[in-house]
Amino acid sequence: MKLRVLLISFLLVGALGAEDKDYAPGPDAMPKEGVPKGKVSQHKWLSDIFPGTERDYWVYVPSQYDGSKPACVMVFQDGAGFVKEKGSFRAPTVLDNLIHAGDIPVTIGIFINPGVVPPADEGQQPRKNRSFEYDTLSDQYARFLLEEILPEVGKSYKLTDNPVCRAICGNSSGGICAFTVAWERPDQFRKVVSHIGSFTNIRGGHVYPALIRKSDPKPLKVFLQDGENDLDNLHGNWPLANQQMALALKYSGYDYKFVMGTGKHSGRHGGSIFPDTLRWIWSDWQKLNP
Amino acid sequence: MKTIVPCLLLHLTLLSHAFSQDMPLSQVLIDGEGWEPVAEGFNFTDGLCTDQDGNLYFSDVKGGTAVYKVDLSGKVSEFIKDAPGISGLQWGSDGRLYACVAREKRVVVFDKNGKETELVNEVRPNDLVVTHRGDLYFTMTPTKEIRRIDSKGKMSVVSSGVVGKPNGITLSRDQGTLAVSDHGGKYVWAFRIEKDGSLAHPGNYMEMRTPVKDPEVAKGDGMATDIHGRYYVTTAEGLQMFDPTGRMGGVIATPDSESGLVSVGFAGPDHSYLHVANGGTVYRRKTKTRGALFFAKPEKNEAMPKP
Repeated sequence: MKLRVLLISFLLVGALGAEDKDYAPGPDAMPKEGVPKGKVSQHKWLSDIFPGTERDYWVYVPSQYDGSKPACVMVFQDGAGFVKEKGSFRAPTVLDNLIHAGDIPVTIGIFINPGVVPPADEGQQPRKNRSFEYDTLSDQYARFLLEEILPEVGKSYKLTDNPVCRAICGNSSGGICAFTVAWERPDQFRKVVSHIGSFTNIRGGHVYPALIRKSDPKPLKVFLQDGENDLDNLHGNWPLANQQMALALKYSGYDYKFVMGTGKHSGRHGGSIFPDTLRWIWSDWQKLNP
Repeated sequence: MKTIVPCLLLHLTLLSHAFSQDMPLSQVLIDGEGWEPVAEGFNFTDGLCTDQDGNLYFSDVKGGTAVYKVDLSGKVSEFIKDAPGISGLQWGSDGRLYACVAREKRVVVFDKNGKETELVNEVRPNDLVVTHRGDLYFTMTPTKEIRRIDSKGKMSVVSSGVVGKPNGITLSRDQGTLAVSDHGGKYVWAFRIEKDGSLAHPGNYMEMRTPVKDPEVAKGDGMATDIHGRYYVTTAEGLQMFDPTGRMGGVIATPDSESGLVSVGFAGPDHSYLHVANGGTVYRRKTKTRGALFFAKPEKNEAMPKP
């Protein structure tokens, strides 16, 4: 069944000239009758690790979570886009369907927007901190999750502290951010999902393939998606950078999967295959102990 | 096909929210327009600034005795005589010219007739910026300080120990953010300017390219801002440009790499010429953008024209 869906979407994309807009959410991203809906709540966070920043975040709790044991965790950068009901990803609906089907574990989703330093006065613009938080190669974003967000969400829900049961996902700069978190703290996060990841020189991220090839392999499971028509700009070439990442992961023996489509710098392709991506990244879940 | 159109619209909304616009050098530089000297034969030019009409003002911090002016016809003259040792200049919204007199450890202001009034003494000023509302911020490189002189002349320390060697200083176009370059490190720091003029929330927002032989020291020096919110900073590697979200957009080559690059400012017709102080010579280069003017009313960044 899965293969057939993939085949059909491949033929469809080919027939229509492989345009970005031809990628669309599939049936697993639509509400299904008899599938219980999880609850999504919205929150605001003032950070000390990124001083002066404010941001919104959302917490998705599946209806199957009963607090009797810790839930798996999946963190999303640019959370607003992933949590949206009618976006490219529709993550809460996908999580509802896949958890109900037993394809992935009971997982609490944490959807976090990038920070802004709000203006002090009227008529002024916020200092956008997205690039600093996502594109910088350091452990600062990992510390933000581990010291601020996870403890806060953990006050209300039992979250796993098993790194194999923690996944992190993002698009573009949010994609390289996902990798950086796991690269810096493999003791805390071991599952990475990157769509159209910016493994380019925005703030030095183009060095990862070289680092991966000459480092003792880390116990990470990495999913990468990109498109032939992704960006080629001052920071680098996204399709080449993602191929370099994939081949470096292959060379160093990582558990990885790379899906190259024909899309542009958008979440459409990543969104259209997102349910299968989750099935793959969590394929070991029956053996895990959150 | 029915579902595709609304999905696309939603997706465009998502994109505009999440992804910032790319700002390469090609949006600023013009093919065939290189650096040209506008003032030569000095010792150590510095302190570039402009006025409403686009005249350029500069100092010769080591050899000179005056504040010099390059008018729109290109004529170089002494604008204020007997003003040696100046390392920073900016016009205020009150029509007066503010100056860091590094040699004499003073910050002063000149009125329209060139008459000098001392604002503070016994300080170690390097460079300064003056906001529309009349707050003067200046860097004290040796003491790791940024100080403020308010419109009533009262001085306060607004940052201490954050930037290792604070040097160049500029504002966002809306004047809500103060940016300070580190001469001894590799970051340009951003601060929020509070309603009371104090500084809050420092962030090492922009990472400058550094020389291979000295990878931790960019020698960040003079700074400027353009109408789209891009920041410019002179460094050992050249004139570096950053977008408003702190991403490095490129490095513009130094006209004379044998001499230091210490000051940058927009001036000339429409304030559309980048000027740099590069040793004994001031150079200019025509651009596709315009400088932000801080004596003018603060404004939000102008959107980039559609390609």
